[in-house]
Amino acid sequence: MTQLPSLWHRLVAIVRRRRLDRDLDDELAFHLAMREADYRTDGLSADAAREEARRQFGNVTHLKEQTRDMWTFPSLESFRQDIRYALRTLRKSPGFTFVAVFALAVGIGGNTAIFSLVDAIRSRALPYPEPDRLVQLWGNVQRTRVERRGASYPDYLDWRAESKSFEDIAALDTQWMTFVGSDEPERIQTEFVAAPYFSLLGVSPTRGRVFDATEDLVAKPAQVVVLSDGFWRRRFGADPQVIGRTLTLCCAPRQYTVVGVMPPGFKGLSDTAELWVPFAMYASPATMAARGSRGFVALARLKPGVSLAAAQSDMDAISRRLEQAYPNTNEKRAVEISPLAVELFGNLRPALLTLMAAVAFVLLIACANVANLLIARSETRRREIAVRTALGAGRGRLLRQLVTESCVLTLLGAAAGLVLARIAVSMLIAQSPVTFPSFATPELDVRVALFTIAVSLACGLLVGLVPGLQAQTPDLSNALKESARSSGGRQSQRVRSALVVAEVSLAVVLLVGAGLMIRSVRNLAALNPGFDPHSVLTLHASIPRTSPPPAAAAPAAAGTPAAPSPPPRPVVEARVLLDRLRAIPGVAAAALGNDLPLDSGGGGASFYTAEGQPPVNAQNMPRIYVHRVTPEFFSTLRIPFVQGRTFTDAEVSPTSPAVIVSEGVVRRFWPGQDPIGKRLKFGGSPSPTDPWMTIVGVVGEVKYRGLPQNPTADPDIYLPFTDRNSLVGLALRTTVAPSSLIPTVRAVIRETDRSIPLYNIATMDEQVSGVTSRSRFTMWLMGVFAACALMLAVVGIYGVMSYLVSQRTREIGIRLALGAKRPDILRLVVGNGARLIGAGIAIGIAASFALQRLVSSLLFGVTAADAAAGFAVVILAAVAMLACYLPALRATRVSPLNALRSE
Amino acid sequence: MGETKKATAVGDMLPGTLDMLILKALSRGEAHGYSIVQFIHGASRDVLKVEEGALYPALHRLEVRGLLRAEWGTSENNRRAKYYRLTAAGRRELEFEAAYWDRVAAAVTRVMQTA
Repeated sequence: MTQLPSLWHRLVAIVRRRRLDRDLDDELAFHLAMREADYRTDGLSADAAREEARRQFGNVTHLKEQTRDMWTFPSLESFRQDIRYALRTLRKSPGFTFVAVFALAVGIGGNTAIFSLVDAIRSRALPYPEPDRLVQLWGNVQRTRVERRGASYPDYLDWRAESKSFEDIAALDTQWMTFVGSDEPERIQTEFVAAPYFSLLGVSPTRGRVFDATEDLVAKPAQVVVLSDGFWRRRFGADPQVIGRTLTLCCAPRQYTVVGVMPPGFKGLSDTAELWVPFAMYASPATMAARGSRGFVALARLKPGVSLAAAQSDMDAISRRLEQAYPNTNEKRAVEISPLAVELFGNLRPALLTLMAAVAFVLLIACANVANLLIARSETRRREIAVRTALGAGRGRLLRQLVTESCVLTLLGAAAGLVLARIAVSMLIAQSPVTFPSFATPELDVRVALFTIAVSLACGLLVGLVPGLQAQTPDLSNALKESARSSGGRQSQRVRSALVVAEVSLAVVLLVGAGLMIRSVRNLAALNPGFDPHSVLTLHASIPRTSPPPAAAAPAAAGTPAAPSPPPRPVVEARVLLDRLRAIPGVAAAALGNDLPLDSGGGGASFYTAEGQPPVNAQNMPRIYVHRVTPEFFSTLRIPFVQGRTFTDAEVSPTSPAVIVSEGVVRRFWPGQDPIGKRLKFGGSPSPTDPWMTIVGVVGEVKYRGLPQNPTADPDIYLPFTDRNSLVGLALRTTVAPSSLIPTVRAVIRETDRSIPLYNIATMDEQVSGVTSRSRFTMWLMGVFAACALMLAVVGIYGVMSYLVSQRTREIGIRLALGAKRPDILRLVVGNGARLIGAGIAIGIAASFALQRLVSSLLFGVTAADAAAGFAVVILAAVAMLACYLPALRATRVSPLNALRSE
Repeated sequence: MGETKKATAVGDMLPGTLDMLILKALSRGEAHGYSIVQFIHGASRDVLKVEEGALYPALHRLEVRGLLRAEWGTSENNRRAKYYRLTAAGRRELEFEAAYWDRVAAAVTRVMQTA
């Protein structure tokens, strides 16, 4: 009841404190004057009256303080004092302050930088309303293990019709389309999306409209397109009348009518899309009708309040129904529901969390350093603390003051750290080979600032409590008598030693981690991908067809199946193009295929049947990835032949039965037999009329779809390239630096035909390192953190050893005076340090082994027992010993006379 | 001073007694600190003695609690002085404290009179 007025009075007092102080002075003066006057009337002299009045009153200053406390928040008041005092002490020892603030800035800055990256990829960062309800639906299959696949269109329609957990479901897939404009043709990332896609994401067009369901019918898809803001500005000059205009997309050239423009920044779920067309045009009507033809994911939004688990059991029930209804295509098929944030950021998370741990270690080392410095200082301040205790300062009060001091220190560190982090974050983003989604922009916002402040206060508490608890000097009289340079207590020496051991062990863990990362990246680089990626230039092209006669074009545009008339010819045949490329000086070999190793995406796998093999079930039905390649493909990429030969010229024909298989096919069906001449057929249960393919060669397995391993172990087969594919990958083996040929290659292809769009021109080495980029990014940062850790640990060891030597100057002097040799002294001091370093290394190695399991997903082909880890430990030991050796050397130079006199 | 021997310092009595005496002193009208001391001294026939300095933290505490209100005025000898007055809350507090004191004092008396 009286809380409120009192709080109010106190708040007023903060603002009007000077006035209140003056009033109090006046009030007390009035009292004294009245008392004095009364004594005067009683007959005392003026002096005696004043004297007596004062005595009667008591300690004026003390009472004033007491009275003032009634008005203020006493704890706040002393807190202010503590801060002022802390700042003054820090100013008085600039060297100490600089070292401590620097160490903390490195630690806190690193944490802030990494935290801002982690924070940027949290699920709330998705630029869609209520992103937590957005999920992706994958079609999974239970084979020897569960493998993730896409959905088929009939499955998708059933999911939509039967599920009750989702507001809606939208099929989508991203493909390249060639935009044929007035000037050069351009490859455009296009999303094929079902009508509900836009409303699911909660985005609406800035102009026009998006598709509706009637435009998304497979039977009669509307040829409409929605543009991204960027595409509209770039190719239509931001024409306000763009709605209703048409644009041509191929490869089967079709006219699309523009119906809408999306807002700036929206690039679809793929984060790269510039155009959106109805999903009904995703594939031929026949493919769309096939329940077993799976290849796309579906986006869905959970109804409010529906949990992931509930939705999963809903979909499981549907999957079981479909499995019963369509055993041929849906046996062992299920649906995986995966939150969108996990899909978009999942691959970044383990690396960032590891880095977060690493940088936390750096901070711990920095804290240990600062704690050590503070202990050293609190020992020289023992007298000050003893005086304060003697004057009645309580232990809690002293502790509070020490913690305040360390918090002031860490907050200074945090301020410097924020500046460092600002620089570091922009550098990280610039350097990072990992592409962050365009909307996830790491920045130093309020959340990051709060994190930094919380971290720095935690550090302040940590480093303040250690020397604070140390500083409880019970033996006042001794402390007051001792000189400031007296040796620290045995207990404090133990704490300092423990801190050094901790620093060394943390540094060992980081160095081992960095060593393993470096090793793992080198393993990845040295990994045999099944082909030789060096000196190879790769590029992709979309070879247009010669325009079909107008009569043939009309029905094709309407979406009806093309008549079995001869397919339109490409503007240039592969053979001609390759001959021209081979003629370029510096090109040793050139080959072409419908895809190249490490192309992201590529085609899906197909079922096949081997001749004379028993029937198989859904779990072990053999699958292969099919590539169509020219005969020189294997020699150009140096894919080794295990048996047989490449295609002959005669076999390069659409009706050729020749096939080249990878070793996996042979291993499965004809182990120990001669596979040449054996036959394969496409399809899980092929009809007798399907043609057989005859094996003419066997090549080694290629890491076609990913490094360090293909996502699934299914083998590859190669068929002759017969100009039926318009999208091709070209590989050139060069005798000069591959990238130096890029302009010439471009020019040669432009000369051949101006209408061929080129894209993804890169050396194969670049492709390989692109796949390993996450590992390299992690390695690079781990290296930086380990270097910081090493530096801080060495500074810490050096500091402690120097301090130790200066504390033992007298002892060393006595030893020397008693005849100890200088090498003995050296051994004494270095041995002391070596014990600490040894203990730290032992603990660090043990911790590394314990922790390696946590980072195993980031490592490839290494364990903590690796030589790289040993090397890291040796480096640390060497540098740490040097940090002991220098102070030890100084100890040997002690003059016994001076040392004894110095006390 | 000789008289301190027979006088009882208010601080030695039950806690809260000084507050109650201040409230009582002010129940007769507004007064400054010095006159409150004089009142307590006089009304107790010189038995109770306030340590004069201790009066002020108590006055300010009561003011902060909203039991008193203070105003600057002019004293009988024409000096600037701070005058305290009871608020409504102060009056209620005084009643409560007085009732409590009566109960405690009666209880103590009963204990002392028990044979």
